[in-house]
Amino acid sequence: MNKSMRVFIVDDYTTMLRILRNLLRQLDLTNVEEANDGDTAYHMMLKSPPDLIISDWNMAPVTGLELLRKVRGDAKLRHIPFIMVTAESKTENVIAAKQAGVSNYIVKPFNAETLRAKIASVFAPA
Amino acid sequence: MSAPCASRLGDAHGYLDRVIRELRVLQSPQKDTLVGVLQYLSDHIRLMREEIGALRPGRGAQLFSSTTDELEEIVTETARAANRIMDAAEAIETVAATAEPAAAAALTEAVTNIYEASSFQDITGQRIAKVVRALQSLEEKLGSLIGAVVPPGGEATPAEEPKGDAARLNGPQLETIANSQTDIDALFASLE
Repeated sequence: MNKSMRVFIVDDYTTMLRILRNLLRQLDLTNVEEANDGDTAYHMMLKSPPDLIISDWNMAPVTGLELLRKVRGDAKLRHIPFIMVTAESKTENVIAAKQAGVSNYIVKPFNAETLRAKIASVFAPA
Repeated sequence: MSAPCASRLGDAHGYLDRVIRELRVLQSPQKDTLVGVLQYLSDHIRLMREEIGALRPGRGAQLFSSTTDELEEIVTETARAANRIMDAAEAIETVAATAEPAAAAALTEAVTNIYEASSFQDITGQRIAKVVRALQSLEEKLGSLIGAVVPPGGEATPAEEPKGDAARLNGPQLETIANSQTDIDALFASLE
């Protein structure tokens, strides 16, 4: 895992953004940007594409799933690993996210080890 | 109560009471049973109208908005508490960096646990948001009930169900039915 990579985190709960930022710092990932909604995140990422996206699903006005679709539909961003971190744990949600091109899926509440393992897995050689 | 429905119910109730009065003055010995039944019906209609009337929109709306405000305040308070907890955890983490290795590792592990546990605010916030939406839906339905007593044989309009992506916004599932991370991993792998 490249410790200098830029990670973009998206969640409408500022508490969760802070938790993610702290847990990422413990993984030595300190180059972190954040946004409170999918729309803001998308426009920020277009200006400066990150190396990894970690996003909540349940946000307004642009949800995490919509953000994922926008990212996968954009030539500039589509290659970026995208991890969904969400309380949406229904089977159909995981399938919908997978169909939209999610790289991995973490269900809330999660622990630091799960976050580390999922980040490592999206950068692991296929 | 909408004017046509209120008028219809009021007319029917008035008509029933008129029939009862007219029956009472008859000399027929068989009238008492019929009058008793009709009076029973009339009393129940009056009681129902009084009870529905007591759910005036103003009082109902105040109750719901007050409850919604209380729930939203819980979200605000838990966010404040979670941030204070994290302030403290971050301070401990800073101190841990200066401690000898064993102590630093123990402190860092404890701080990680605090960060993980702090996600309660996000989960409870989403659950409360679901309750608020349910209350708002209930408020709408109550408003409709107050606004128009459904006529006999009539049907209330069913609430519009969300479609497409909106139908997938379920929020946190109950622990007894939710997919665990292990379930998610297995499902995810099966989709590869």
